[in-house]
Amino acid sequence: MNETSLSNRDVVLEARAIVKRYPGIVALDGVTFRAYRNQVNVLIGENGAGKSTLMRILAGVEAAHEGELQLDGKTIRMQSPRDATALGISIVHQELATFANLNISENIFAGRELRQCRVFVDGPRQAVRSEEALRRLRMPMNVATESARLPLGCRQIVEIARTLDQGSRILILDEPTSALSTTETESLFDVIADLKRSGVTIIYISHRLHELLHLGDQFTVLRSGRVVGEASRAEVTRRWIVERMSGRADDDTINQERESAARPTALSVKNLSLRGAAGAEDSQAALHALSFSVREGEILGIYGLLGAGRTELLEALAGFRRMDEGEINVRGKSVRVQNVRSALSAGIALLPEDRQRDGLFQDLSIRENVIISGKRGMFLSRAGEIARVQKLASELRIAANDLELPVTTMSGGNQQKVLLARCLICSPKVLLLDEPTRGVDVGAKAEIYAILRRLAGKGMSIIFTSSEIEETRLLANRVLVLCQGRIAAELMRDEATDERLFAAASPTVAAGGGAVERMSSPECTA
Amino acid sequence: MSTTMQAVPRPRGAAGTLVRAVLILLRARAIVVLVALLVLFSSLAPEFLTANNLSILTKHVAITALLAIGMTFVILTGGIDLSVGSIAGLGGMVAGYLLTQGISLGGTIVYPPVAIVIVIAICVCMFVGVLNGWLVAKAGVAPFIATLGTLYIARGAALLISNGKTFPGLGGEASRGNTGFPAFGQSFILHIPSPVWMMAVLFVIAWVVAIKTPFGRHIYAVGGNDRAARLAGIRVPAVKIATYVISAFTAALVGLIIASQLEAAHPATGETFELNAIAAVVLGGTSLMGGRGSVTGSLIGAFVIGILTDGLVMLGVSEFWQMVIKGLVIVLAVGMDQAQIRLQAKLLPYLQAGR
Repeated sequence: MNETSLSNRDVVLEARAIVKRYPGIVALDGVTFRAYRNQVNVLIGENGAGKSTLMRILAGVEAAHEGELQLDGKTIRMQSPRDATALGISIVHQELATFANLNISENIFAGRELRQCRVFVDGPRQAVRSEEALRRLRMPMNVATESARLPLGCRQIVEIARTLDQGSRILILDEPTSALSTTETESLFDVIADLKRSGVTIIYISHRLHELLHLGDQFTVLRSGRVVGEASRAEVTRRWIVERMSGRADDDTINQERESAARPTALSVKNLSLRGAAGAEDSQAALHALSFSVREGEILGIYGLLGAGRTELLEALAGFRRMDEGEINVRGKSVRVQNVRSALSAGIALLPEDRQRDGLFQDLSIRENVIISGKRGMFLSRAGEIARVQKLASELRIAANDLELPVTTMSGGNQQKVLLARCLICSPKVLLLDEPTRGVDVGAKAEIYAILRRLAGKGMSIIFTSSEIEETRLLANRVLVLCQGRIAAELMRDEATDERLFAAASPTVAAGGGAVERMSSPECTA
Repeated sequence: MSTTMQAVPRPRGAAGTLVRAVLILLRARAIVVLVALLVLFSSLAPEFLTANNLSILTKHVAITALLAIGMTFVILTGGIDLSVGSIAGLGGMVAGYLLTQGISLGGTIVYPPVAIVIVIAICVCMFVGVLNGWLVAKAGVAPFIATLGTLYIARGAALLISNGKTFPGLGGEASRGNTGFPAFGQSFILHIPSPVWMMAVLFVIAWVVAIKTPFGRHIYAVGGNDRAARLAGIRVPAVKIATYVISAFTAALVGLIIASQLEAAHPATGETFELNAIAAVVLGGTSLMGGRGSVTGSLIGAFVIGILTDGLVMLGVSEFWQMVIKGLVIVLAVGMDQAQIRLQAKLLPYLQAGR
């Protein structure tokens, strides 16, 4: 499998036998990755496969426990991202790291400001050089625009411009399109092609197969911290990637179709609206009069690009955000969802997207993390708690020999199951899951799918969001596609092809009012 | 395998044990310091360990300990309460006013009995606690700022009550039916001073609340992860407000104890007490970031501060040096707090590997 059309001479950056451990998990287990000169080197893998960890090591953000890095055949050591930059390696992170309160040129020179008389910031010179970098990317913008007012796609360009100005020859893009619309994605692809021509080596991470196949020259597939496939474009097919990513022969759709059509409605939502809010910390996508319903035992997938309002929708249903308008009915009864408690008592529970930020209590034990939502009365009964948690833990197959250990000692998959157990302890009628398998290894992923199907089989209604098309298709009976806070399509599972999902999720140019609304710098329309 | 990148050595069994011992020592640092101070002072000042001196010492400690117990709850939620000293002063002044001036009801002046006076004073203080909690949990004011504000407000109110003067003679008069206030802070039950009893009882209650009740766990949860707590269905604002009310309650007790012991209410009572309380909590290993710590630790921390103060006085160390030493101990304690967190994060993988 290691036969590549390019000889070793063309390897510019090589990571050899990298091992990286985190508490409770081996993120990278002897990974060897090669990046070839002037190529788009694609790194593919499901969530939790170790892609981002590997990139953080290549960019000097983290150090590996074992293994070595070679640049142009010479061993290098990096202590910090600064070292990496000095060597010409730059990364554009998945979570965009622009300073919303600074303007474009300030962003491009943040932390390495040009000076006048060694003391003062040389604004004009920064502006000129910023403009130059943006021109190289063929994306002229007004460099005095505040970053907060730029759409996500433009912020990404700003970050790439920053790396260009630093003279980077290896550019790592970590899931650059997860937030972008189709047009923004296309212009990013043009930029990447330009960069490639001008001698920059690209390392590109994504799990969107169609764009990888369009863009990639060299492919490396990671699964559970190991390299499971390496090939160049000519040898790669869609099937080749899917098989290696998932470790299955092919999509064996285990899903037996239930006749959910005959079942009673569990949750119906009418005219749910949410006003949008822009802000660096707590921006909120607007939702425009969404109406839909879910039947008992149905699994409803919600697909959409970042910023389409997926998370906002689930959080509004769970009472975590105050909806501005809308009616919610749970099993025929009208429910006023004012806060999380009222949602919980109405039978709606949410598994949040960001486990670390919104889910886990790092300082509490596994047992305490599960039981926190399900306590009543004056005093805690330790024995009773242990019994309840143990029962759930064995049902969900939570791998922990001691429920009293801190929850941080567990792997991502088990942490996710702990949070799932927390939802289930309130015996919800409708279970909302925001990216249920984010940062979870493949094994745990399959288990979570199985658990969700079992719960649905018992009559629980499940609504989940996912940014992975594969996952959406695999798990959902029916898919709602959100685009800019509106339902763009409703597809049954057999209708939901990659192309249809992606097309529905992308704002079209004609209807792209939302995207234009958000950007106030007219130059950045691309 | 060539390991040119930072390879971390794996500790053997013995090293693992050492690591664990160091961690335990760091975690129990308050006790370590306490024992060290006891040994130091009793060897330097022979009269230090006498029953009489220990009784006086504990009485002093009770003041800091009571405040520290309330403060622990606030800090566990990730907040801070700078207003406790002022609240103590206010509580004393309210009691002093009611005992000496009475309440004028339709022309006649009524002197409420001591029990009512105490209840009213405590209620006034707890109202300030509600205000603190409301500012922090509902109005979204940073705890430091909110309680800094109420620090001034409560102190100002205390001064306004008497126009800055002291209320002397809180013994009450038999003709007014309001005698007995001095017993609040001066009496002995089973040879133990009443403030020490209050400290002990409050400590037990606080310990039970923190460890054994859903409310206690909610406090830890809120401090550990505010957003997650909200999503778990915890009434985060209510929990926060409750902690400030508890803190204000302990401050009220302290104000009343001091007024009762002096048989006079002075509006400046309790100035800088909040700093002692915070120091005790931090010494006891409670993280100022919230979510981690214990009431027991704070009690030990209060003893450390009390012993340090009294011991240095007995040794005849100058007041100025006392302040320097106290400051050093506090800074050292917080430094150790940080060191412990870093060390723990670094060593966690080994501890797991050793399991």
